[in-house]
Amino acid sequence: MVDSKHQWKAWIYLAPAIILLLIFTVWPIINTVRMALLEGYSSLGAAGGKTYEFGFGNFVKVIKYKGFIKCLYNTILLCVLTVPISTLLALLIAVALNSIKPLQKVLQTIFFLPYVTNSIAIGMVFTAMFNIVGSFYGTENEIVITAGIINNIIEFFGGKAINWVNYGSTYAANIAVMVIYIVWNALPFKILVLLGGLQSINKQYYDAAKVDGTSRRRIFTRITVPLLSPMLAYVIITGFIGGFKEYSSIVGIFGEGMGPADDAGRLNTIVGFIYDALPNQQHGRASAAALILFAIIFVVTRINMYVSKKKVHY
Amino acid sequence: MSKNLTTTMHEKNMQQISSRQKVMKFFVKFMTYAFLIAMALIILFPFYWMIISSLKSLAEYRLSVPTLWPKKIMFGNYAEAFNAANLGTLFMNTLYVGIVSTLLSLVITVLSAFAFARLEFKGKDAMFGALLATMMIPGELFTITNYATVTNFGWINTYTVLIVPFLVSVFYIYLLRQNFMQIPNELYLAAKVDGTGDLKYLWKVMIPLALPTLISITILKMMGAWNSYVWPRLVANDEAHRMITNGLRNAFTDTTGDVNYPVQMAAVALVSAPLFLVFIFLRKYIMSGVSRSGIKG
Amino acid sequence: MKVVLENLTKIFPSRNKKSNEEVVAVNNFSFTIPDGKLIGLLGPSGCGKSTTLYMISGLQKPSGGKIYFGDDDVTEVSTENRGVGLVFQNYALYPHMTVKQNILFPLQNLKGADKLSKEEMLSRAYEAAKLVQLEELMERKPSELSGGQQQRVAIARALVKMPRVLLLDEPLSNLDARLRLQTREEIRRIQRETKITTVFVTHDQEEAMSISDMIVVMKLGVVQQIGAPQEVYDNPVNLFVAKFLGTPPINVFNGHVKGEKLYIGEDAVLEVKNVPDQEVIVGIRPEGFYLAEDGALSCELSSIEVMGRDVSIVSKNAACTAPVIRSIIDADTPINPAAKTVRYNLRKNKVFIFNKETEERIYFEVN
Repeated sequence: MVDSKHQWKAWIYLAPAIILLLIFTVWPIINTVRMALLEGYSSLGAAGGKTYEFGFGNFVKVIKYKGFIKCLYNTILLCVLTVPISTLLALLIAVALNSIKPLQKVLQTIFFLPYVTNSIAIGMVFTAMFNIVGSFYGTENEIVITAGIINNIIEFFGGKAINWVNYGSTYAANIAVMVIYIVWNALPFKILVLLGGLQSINKQYYDAAKVDGTSRRRIFTRITVPLLSPMLAYVIITGFIGGFKEYSSIVGIFGEGMGPADDAGRLNTIVGFIYDALPNQQHGRASAAALILFAIIFVVTRINMYVSKKKVHY
Repeated sequence: MSKNLTTTMHEKNMQQISSRQKVMKFFVKFMTYAFLIAMALIILFPFYWMIISSLKSLAEYRLSVPTLWPKKIMFGNYAEAFNAANLGTLFMNTLYVGIVSTLLSLVITVLSAFAFARLEFKGKDAMFGALLATMMIPGELFTITNYATVTNFGWINTYTVLIVPFLVSVFYIYLLRQNFMQIPNELYLAAKVDGTGDLKYLWKVMIPLALPTLISITILKMMGAWNSYVWPRLVANDEAHRMITNGLRNAFTDTTGDVNYPVQMAAVALVSAPLFLVFIFLRKYIMSGVSRSGIKG
Repeated sequence: MKVVLENLTKIFPSRNKKSNEEVVAVNNFSFTIPDGKLIGLLGPSGCGKSTTLYMISGLQKPSGGKIYFGDDDVTEVSTENRGVGLVFQNYALYPHMTVKQNILFPLQNLKGADKLSKEEMLSRAYEAAKLVQLEELMERKPSELSGGQQQRVAIARALVKMPRVLLLDEPLSNLDARLRLQTREEIRRIQRETKITTVFVTHDQEEAMSISDMIVVMKLGVVQQIGAPQEVYDNPVNLFVAKFLGTPPINVFNGHVKGEKLYIGEDAVLEVKNVPDQEVIVGIRPEGFYLAEDGALSCELSSIEVMGRDVSIVSKNAACTAPVIRSIIDADTPINPAAKTVRYNLRKNKVFIFNKETEERIYFEVN
């Protein structure tokens, strides 16, 4: 039934997509592998006629490079902290939302709000909330004009102001701010998916559990969580994928310095590392890092899928 | 029959248990609401802080004991922010890039989805599989080469560089193809019998039926343009073509220290406002699109 | 454990916010379910039978009236403390648990004085499984079982905690015809063995008649008749009950009474003592006809269906409300298939007459 007229018509319809994909997707995949495998490759150099040797030097250099290890560490730390926290919190909120009737729609809308924001713009709001105006050295000489609303709240409850993001702030404080911001940003999508999952669970399972006198806690752990497991696996996998590509949320909080004023680059991530290499004509290095990132995401996704195959029913 | 199954249940004072359970039930409901409202307030707090800060005078903002509502409302901050960040140009640039790229992207997506959903050609399945496989690869991997490519094309600091490289979204093609597949093939065959051309059929039947998906795609694509940061910063960071997010970040490079926060917050509020407006009116489409995609923008 | 329903009423608020029409799902239902009996709640969909079942289980709260288990008033007692076992129409087996885990689940919920050791739980689970003949399938997941097997798991899960009352919601409706016959016998056997007071809901009169000790016929929230299946069949209180029970269904005619005689059309078919002259509806069970040369009721013969032991005669009469009359005659009776008409006499105890307006039964002396 396939006549030739249909053949070329289909290809005409697909032509724009295919041409663009060839240039901006397929070629980059090939080229990235090529650049990564040519020692110290730079496209400017290549354009000038320079030739590069084949080898794994870029990968070795990247892995040995202290800056990259720091980026990798930051990325993994943020992932490991934010994915469980946001998933658990989203699960609790979704279950709570699912159990109420009045106000459900209003609250659901509120919980979705952070999704429709610009992560750079709202990052600036978070910085404002944590920022201390004045100089803060943790010594007698400090001149604090305003400590920022978060510190004000901490002080209101009798705590001590913390230098979160300013000159001289600690790495732990920086990470804490990032975790809060990333979790805040990650909640809407997870709540949306989990709530959708909860609403599609047959209500009869809950009736049956009720007849059997099941406690709330047991209903949650033995019925809700297992029946929700496909959705949980989905948000965890997408959470990890997103987490390994963390970049603009850090720019949102700390600006392009990727760290507090006295330690720029302290919070840099793998994606940041790749972008930093571009203007410096270090395409080989950037490509190697990008492939490493891809490998990490691939492996983590595989592990997640393997675990969920064992734990997720269906 | 053993006695196990015939002995009656342990008798208990059911009435008492029941009233205790009612108290428990009320307590749980109360805690549920308390938890949800507390979480909602935490979620909302940054928005609240953004708005009230944007309306304060700098002197009031710098009070060591913060005020929860501005003493004197300073709308002037918004005018100042608008001018300081050159928001007018940024808005227009972003809108232009957003609209053009959304329209072109829709055309490409619809044509491809139609080909995959309705037409028969050799290698269709292999082709579609290959497209889906590219979704697994992080976009950062493409950026390196694309940066070099657009440099070679001489596209740096043009609108083209902001529009063309991201016109094709495999995910949107996939989404729309699934939607098209649900439309019964008989409709297509009937149209053929009537002598209706493919494009006319696409326009008159498929597109109206797939409209909700197309609206979702449009909104997500527009939001993507509005929120894009990394690519525009790399390739079009000149005054004439700068996009909104990038412009905002550029205009307020100092994030910490003694920043003029009221003006900065006013700028942030202005940048966020269109997103909220779209959300308020088109919430349904955004939420249904997002729950299927899991990608931001 | 006897179960007492006292003026039980359930009113659902109107779904449409504008109109305030409430739906009375169950209206003033009073009935004492005797200890250890199998009771069938029977009626067409929307008659309130499932609502009644769910009120007994505690999953739905009555709008009025009381429920007692034995002497305990359980009206305000929540589901989990009532000690009922409930088998859902779709079984509601937990899909992520094996058969064993499903059956163990209710036992693991027991707390305090009722708490069981692991061995006890297992032995009870296996006992329940044995009762429903599932021992071989304990490690399977519900998706790996047939409909009938799933249904038995659901029963085992409901029985394992030794419920005071066992409730079954349309237990057979998801099974195919052959399994249905087999499973209903199974339910009967299990109920006899455990002697647990059991209430089940069905819209299938044959199912209810075949296994219940007593049936309750309901219509639009109102109980029509309660009694042993045969008793209700032999003595329906109104036209609805008469029509609802029996296969093939009862034949209904328009008729009238004149001078203590019942007429169908022009034929005087029966003597009805002490019934005043009036228009009536006449119901005649298929087995209420017998052929006679000089039979009182003359009908136009359409066809004869031989069903082995019996013969079913399909005939027509202008007064009949249905297109055809179906009568069941002993197979030995000689019939001439070529005849144009058949003449019947009627068995008095298989003929019921009903008030034309109220459709209530009008009693007459049978002897």
